[in-house]
Amino acid sequence: MAPELAIVVTAVVLPFVASGVAPLVYRLAGDYTGYFGAVVALTCFGLVGTQLGSRGAVALPWVPSMDVALRFYVDGWAVLFALLASGIGALVFTYSASYMHDERSLARYYATLLAFMGSILGVAFAADLVVVFLFWELTSLCSFVLIGHHTEDRESRYAARMAMVVTVGSGLFLLVGVVLLAIAAGDALGATTFDLAAMLADTDAMRATLRESGLFVPALAAFAVAAGAKSAQVPLHFWLPNAMAAPTPVSAFLHSATMVKVGVYFVGRLRPLFGGPEWTLLFATVGLATMTVGAMLAVVATDVKELLAYSTASHLGLMVAGFGFGTVYGSEAGVFHLLNHALFKAALFLVAGIVAHEVGTRRVDALSGLWRDLPVTAAVTAVAALSMAGFPPFNGFYSKELLFEATYEAAHAAGGLAWLYPAVAVFASVFTVLYSLRFLGIFLGERPAAVASVHRPSLALVVPPAVLALGTVAISASPQLAVDTVVQRGVAATSAGRPEVHVEFPTHVSPPVVMSAITIGVGLAGYAVYDRVRTAVAALADAASFAHPNLWYDRLLLGVEAASPRVARTVHNGRLRTYVTWVVATASALALFGYATTSGLAPGVESTRITAAMGLVLVVAVVAAVAVVIAPSHVVGVLALSILGFMVAIFYILASAPDLALTQLVVETLVLLIFLLVLERMPAFYGDLRPRVVARDAALSAVVGATAFLTVVLSIPDAGADPTAIARFYATEAVPSGGGTNIVNVILVDFRGFDTLGELFVVAIAAMSIVVLIEMRDRGETQ
Amino acid sequence: MSVALATVVGGLFALGTFLLLRRDLVRVVWGVSVLSQAANVYLISMGGVQPGTHDTVPVLDAHGGAVPETTDPLVQALVLTAIVISFGTTAFALVLTYRAYQENETMDVQEWR
Repeated sequence: MAPELAIVVTAVVLPFVASGVAPLVYRLAGDYTGYFGAVVALTCFGLVGTQLGSRGAVALPWVPSMDVALRFYVDGWAVLFALLASGIGALVFTYSASYMHDERSLARYYATLLAFMGSILGVAFAADLVVVFLFWELTSLCSFVLIGHHTEDRESRYAARMAMVVTVGSGLFLLVGVVLLAIAAGDALGATTFDLAAMLADTDAMRATLRESGLFVPALAAFAVAAGAKSAQVPLHFWLPNAMAAPTPVSAFLHSATMVKVGVYFVGRLRPLFGGPEWTLLFATVGLATMTVGAMLAVVATDVKELLAYSTASHLGLMVAGFGFGTVYGSEAGVFHLLNHALFKAALFLVAGIVAHEVGTRRVDALSGLWRDLPVTAAVTAVAALSMAGFPPFNGFYSKELLFEATYEAAHAAGGLAWLYPAVAVFASVFTVLYSLRFLGIFLGERPAAVASVHRPSLALVVPPAVLALGTVAISASPQLAVDTVVQRGVAATSAGRPEVHVEFPTHVSPPVVMSAITIGVGLAGYAVYDRVRTAVAALADAASFAHPNLWYDRLLLGVEAASPRVARTVHNGRLRTYVTWVVATASALALFGYATTSGLAPGVESTRITAAMGLVLVVAVVAAVAVVIAPSHVVGVLALSILGFMVAIFYILASAPDLALTQLVVETLVLLIFLLVLERMPAFYGDLRPRVVARDAALSAVVGATAFLTVVLSIPDAGADPTAIARFYATEAVPSGGGTNIVNVILVDFRGFDTLGELFVVAIAAMSIVVLIEMRDRGETQ
Repeated sequence: MSVALATVVGGLFALGTFLLLRRDLVRVVWGVSVLSQAANVYLISMGGVQPGTHDTVPVLDAHGGAVPETTDPLVQALVLTAIVISFGTTAFALVLTYRAYQENETMDVQEWR
């Protein structure tokens, strides 16, 4: 089934439109804006849902000359991601309506959240790499605004800036990768294009070209940095825990279920294109490392949201590792866990929000026994936390089994060091069990006396996590149904072949079952001595603190902050000659560099026929310019400058440009008069010429002159070259369209009449400014 | 002969730059003026310099009839605009110099900071 352009475009554009009117809606409806957002999200959910099962590309032309289009590609993977974003979006908007009701700047909050949802839908469907980049960076920008929601809070601003620097900065790597892919597409597909769908349709040719040109690894590395930073992979994971300064609904939506998954999503997208030994080595290793580090730090966390943030990084690592493995189990693990994780982690974040809202603290150690006061929330947590831990029969168990299977297969096939993959996966999963149980622990046991009273959460707070928990239960009860509906198609889109996915409860002993058994057994045993495990891990983390990337980030920023003023003092020191030096030296260097690196540049063939008269006039012009430079007084200099101007005017006459000559004669006369009038009122300051300064300036001037010389030699048109199409057009159309025989005049007053109008404005503004400068000196604020 | 033209343009650019670096503000204004002349000559040379004849001048004989291959009229239109604009900027810069002298009582840009 082919996708509908109108439906896809509407689904992507609707949130942006809603974002535009959100401030207005907020003024009218107040807190109910949350429900407005929920309706928008549900509409998108419905629209995307109609595309379930369709596959293909649709496009709106945008920049046809560069083959950039608003291209959207619809397949199972895109629809799965878009459904998650809009579905969880609807729940988060509902939740926000109640959770955020006494916050400030809510109009901005809702507008940004809606724009964010549109950006995510854009990333999900975009098939043009330029459009992907655009939406990718939009999600980062929205994230920046939302993390910094509490603008008066220093910590919040710090976190927002960090997320911005890391995710937007790494977005530039995405741009590099995009350009590399487009270059490769030029050779592989016959035309330079940004069409990702076309590239994915012919992965063999693309891969061969990338390998031949040596761009395979650079492109892969660029995409890995971009996706790794967005999806909080080690060592770029440090921004995610800080991002928890955002309001809880934002954390649940952006920093667990959607934005951080953009990287994972894109990794899955590119898997058919880049899959291979380098791919596995890179992503499986990074993913498993993130899974381990994230899980261990989550065990140490003291804040409920911090625990969930590190756990999110860990689970993102699981998905990335899954996609890293070449077997079909790998992409099954990645796709299925993307779905499962979105459901249980969003639920847990919303639960953390309820706890913070109703109890008033987020400290893990201060919380326990909340099940009496928050029974529904406790039930939701039980389902979600056990799913997160990978306990059978919950859905998290199935996707983790798939990862175990993938690591085992990879190890079995490669042997040797590859056996570290399953070992590390089990090791990390033990910590996952530990922190999942610890999170569940805040609801178990007796309520401590310190927690005074617990409010009852409103319905709007409880329903969204409950819906997510129900989704978790539904998938757990019938995993094969979920697989058939959405996962199967996602796996097909992220794998080379057309694999069949089967998920069922294991009935006999197999390596993954053994691995799960070890994980759960050791995890339960470890939970009994949780405090000692935590102390040990904390000691380890302290010992390794020198390697903490947060530290390096701070040092880097401090270094930049210290270096910037130094650069500014050098380049921007308030002296005119410094500015001139930097500008002309840089311009010359760039131009010369361009000539040096551009192949096929040759001096133009003898084309210009310069007569003796022209030569004489030009020589006089240069002599006049020299006279300007060495003029002993202002008056002499102005007269020499005039000679230069009049000589150029005569050159115009000789070079077939009578209109220019006329203009130049008038202008030169006026300039001469103005100069003489002004100079009469100014003293004769000439400045002393110091030899060293003169030598330096002369050297710089020589460089500029040489650059100009080269530019003319290299760019002058060839002899007998045909006039350009534009020149020809104006010449032939001057009489029929413009009704005039003087082509230059017709261009100025007819074809480009508005340009001339603008030019007149420039002269008029200059004239007014002159009047102001001279006449209004004594009337103003200058004294 | 394009080398000759290139030498002229290069020489004018060099002299203009040298003037821009002077301490005397009036000379800086001259530098701007010389540079814009050089840029105009450069632009004209991009259209292909040809000695003026009946056919090369971009003014047609009469309404109707064949259109000869003239020199590039677009370049000339650009330069015409540039001449007028540089007139405006030169005049403005000069008066700004005068005013700056009134305020600072010096024309030495080094002393301003």
